[in-house]
Amino acid sequence: MKKQNNGFKLGMIALFLGLTLYYLFPTLQWNLEQRHMESLTETERVQYETENIAKIQRLRERSLSLGLDLQGGMYVTLEVGTPQLVLELSGDFADDYLEDVIRVARENYLENRTDFIDEFVAEFERRDSDAMLSRYYRSDAQNITRTSTNAEISAFLKNQRTNAVERAMEIIRSRIDRFGVTEPSILQQGNSRIVVELPGVDDEERVRDLLRGTARLEFRLTPESDEINSAKQAIADFFSELETDEESEEVQNLLEIFDLRGTNQYSFGYAAGRDTAAVNRILRTEDVQRLIPRNMTLLWGATSFAQDNGIPLYEMIAVRSQIELTGDVISEARVAFDPTTNRPEVSMTMDSDGARRWSRITGANIGRPVAIVLDGYVYSYPTVRSQINNGRSSISGIGGVQEAEDLVNILLSGALPAPLEIIEERTVGASLGEASIRAGLYSIIFGLSVVAIFMIVYYRTGGGIADLALLLNIIFILGILAGFQATLTLPGIAGIVLTIGMAVDANVLIFDRIREEMRGGKTLRAAIDNGYANAMSAIIDANVTTFFVAVILYSFGVGPIKGFAVTLMAGIVASLFSAIVITRVIIDYLTREKTSVVSFG
Amino acid sequence: MRWFESPNFDFIKAHNIAYFFSGTLIVASIVAILTMGLNYGIDFKGGQEFVFEFQEPVDVVEIRSELTEPLGSVPEIKLFGSDREILLRIDTEEDITATRELLLANFAILYPGNEVSVQKTDLVGPRFAEDLRRGAMYSIIFALAVVFIYIFIRFKGWYFSAGAIAALAHDVLIVLGVFTIMAEIAPFDVSIDQALIAAFLTIVGYSLNDTVVVFDRIRENSIIYKTMNFTDMINKSLNDTLSRTVVTSVTTLFVVTVLFIFGGEVLKGFAFALVLGVILGTYSSLFVASALVVELQKRAIKAKTK
Repeated sequence: MKKQNNGFKLGMIALFLGLTLYYLFPTLQWNLEQRHMESLTETERVQYETENIAKIQRLRERSLSLGLDLQGGMYVTLEVGTPQLVLELSGDFADDYLEDVIRVARENYLENRTDFIDEFVAEFERRDSDAMLSRYYRSDAQNITRTSTNAEISAFLKNQRTNAVERAMEIIRSRIDRFGVTEPSILQQGNSRIVVELPGVDDEERVRDLLRGTARLEFRLTPESDEINSAKQAIADFFSELETDEESEEVQNLLEIFDLRGTNQYSFGYAAGRDTAAVNRILRTEDVQRLIPRNMTLLWGATSFAQDNGIPLYEMIAVRSQIELTGDVISEARVAFDPTTNRPEVSMTMDSDGARRWSRITGANIGRPVAIVLDGYVYSYPTVRSQINNGRSSISGIGGVQEAEDLVNILLSGALPAPLEIIEERTVGASLGEASIRAGLYSIIFGLSVVAIFMIVYYRTGGGIADLALLLNIIFILGILAGFQATLTLPGIAGIVLTIGMAVDANVLIFDRIREEMRGGKTLRAAIDNGYANAMSAIIDANVTTFFVAVILYSFGVGPIKGFAVTLMAGIVASLFSAIVITRVIIDYLTREKTSVVSFG
Repeated sequence: MRWFESPNFDFIKAHNIAYFFSGTLIVASIVAILTMGLNYGIDFKGGQEFVFEFQEPVDVVEIRSELTEPLGSVPEIKLFGSDREILLRIDTEEDITATRELLLANFAILYPGNEVSVQKTDLVGPRFAEDLRRGAMYSIIFALAVVFIYIFIRFKGWYFSAGAIAALAHDVLIVLGVFTIMAEIAPFDVSIDQALIAAFLTIVGYSLNDTVVVFDRIRENSIIYKTMNFTDMINKSLNDTLSRTVVTSVTTLFVVTVLFIFGGEVLKGFAFALVLGVILGTYSSLFVASALVVELQKRAIKAKTK
């Protein structure tokens, strides 16, 4: 019987055990380190951390990380607004026709769940099969000429989307780093989605604004006061003659909710905060749009300027439609305080190109206001007193220091190439996470004990050997997870518990087979040989199919479910190895003498 | 200890009872799903979900009626583990921070002095929910297809594949039916979400294990006992593997029950599906899958001889 090559098997076991311990060692060290750090006082801890920063970082990176559902934190899925990107890429060529194509394509894309850009090109060609998209996307810089085919444009748009997602990820990373989160994870999902995982974050609102903040900073001039007054007059006349539809529940007359008396000559009027959406709706109607000159845009102020019986009032400011300067030119930004009011503001410095243009703009508009617009809201519109040559400007009218800090962060990380929408957001509190860890740990311990006791009662020595394999199996699973830098989630722990129950299956199959062979009159050693050999095909078939199922779960699942699929896969591999190889080596060792006896119950 | 050392049950003969039993359960499940509708959770329906922890016990019915007006719709509210914790689900377009603040403000009025903390929040956009639903559907269909093909290749007979798939569909459908019926009465969250899909696929994998082991024995026996008729051979194979089937089911049932009891509130629904799945999976591989294989094989032969 010694011709069996157990040396090879032993070598494999040693190798796997070695690898597992190698990968799990940092996790152990990290746990001890954390325990040590917790025992220190606050000042000692800070000192210890600064002294051992490299070591701590290395351990943290290499140790088995826990999912957000276990350590608490925030999980966000963002989608890059491809329709807006496609519209913006057309730049000045955009017209109502293109906007309509994009609108219909967006509906089709939501309906059919296909690629938006494919839907867009298809819709464009459906309307007029000869029409050329190059009309909208002509660009020397991008090497797109009048003769570029629609397929080329489609490829160009897809390429731009890829760039936009990559750039958005970089920007998010930079914002998160500045915000200060340990071990954030930012990953692309599909062709236009980004998944952000932030362990330990509990200020959701702030993070949400930080992720979504486009920070489109614009400097705009304001129209002449008589232009503003005549537009106001036209609107006042229009609405005083308007006959309202009594049936409608929506406000139709602007004058009911909007006061055209401005606080100064550039203010178009004001409304209560809750009415601003209705004002926007009425102003967007075609009849009203006709009354406003093309080179005038109406924007809301960022903060309320007054209160009426506790209701905040917001001012609407008239600015030029043309953008003089954008936030791209900002090279430096920091939080400062207004010397007179001591309110926080963001002080900005422009690069040389921006400073030159800023100098020209301010020089030509002395005595007139320049509106500082951020994400479509007017923050302030200070009057230019003298030409500014050093490229300095500032944003005032900010709510608080924290908001100013976040604004600096967003400005410095750059503007997002396209708006981001939060389509999924999950947060787990730290205490629920702790409860989950405890629950998972108890489940593993109880599950393991119950199965182990059952196996010994049912299969005697064989059961004991299977239990040993089971224990090693769990260590292997953890090793595999650490080795592949997978994350342990609550469903992942459930996967381990489930594996405990199913892993013994291979041994059950083998031991039952051995009993059967012995009933057939075979000697113990022959029965063992045949038992292992005959059970093999059933074991392989059963595990291969389960493995397939786990792979499918991994490819379709998201978040913690992926963690379940990973532990299930790791569990199958580890249990095959421990149930077939490890138990065999032990049983062979126990039956090395012809007279030795191993009970299989 | 030995269970079923040399059993000699006639599983195939029992198939009429099994068909009746399974048929009733399946019809009841389908009726329940059609009339009550699948109880989708936040993953597949979209909306916002919160878990709140109070200092003192609260009354779910009271919260539901008091919150309906300020929220503008009836929220789904369930106790979450203890009578101090609640799970609240609502379908709203509002910003999640606004909803949370609104809820906390109303709790403060309803239960002054009873401090409350937010344990968990989930927001799933309607389009994302649809994507998840699609993903879940594809994964189940895909899993069944892969299983069909693998068994077809390994056991060389479409009736093996069909028997296995029918047994799997049987298990999943009944679990789905139980979850639908229990939607209102279960003391824990039994809504259909991603974790439940994971449970379904695990049930598929588990139930398949059992079925494959029996099929493997059929394959082996069909070589040894060439003259035995098909029905007897399947019966013998089921009996040969019965002890293993029972032992594995017992150990798996142990751990999923442990998971159900100790696994925490988050995993309750998931673990419950697994408990049902293990029981149903064992039953279906003993009584449904093999009986169907016999039936289908007989029909295939009849069709050939015609």
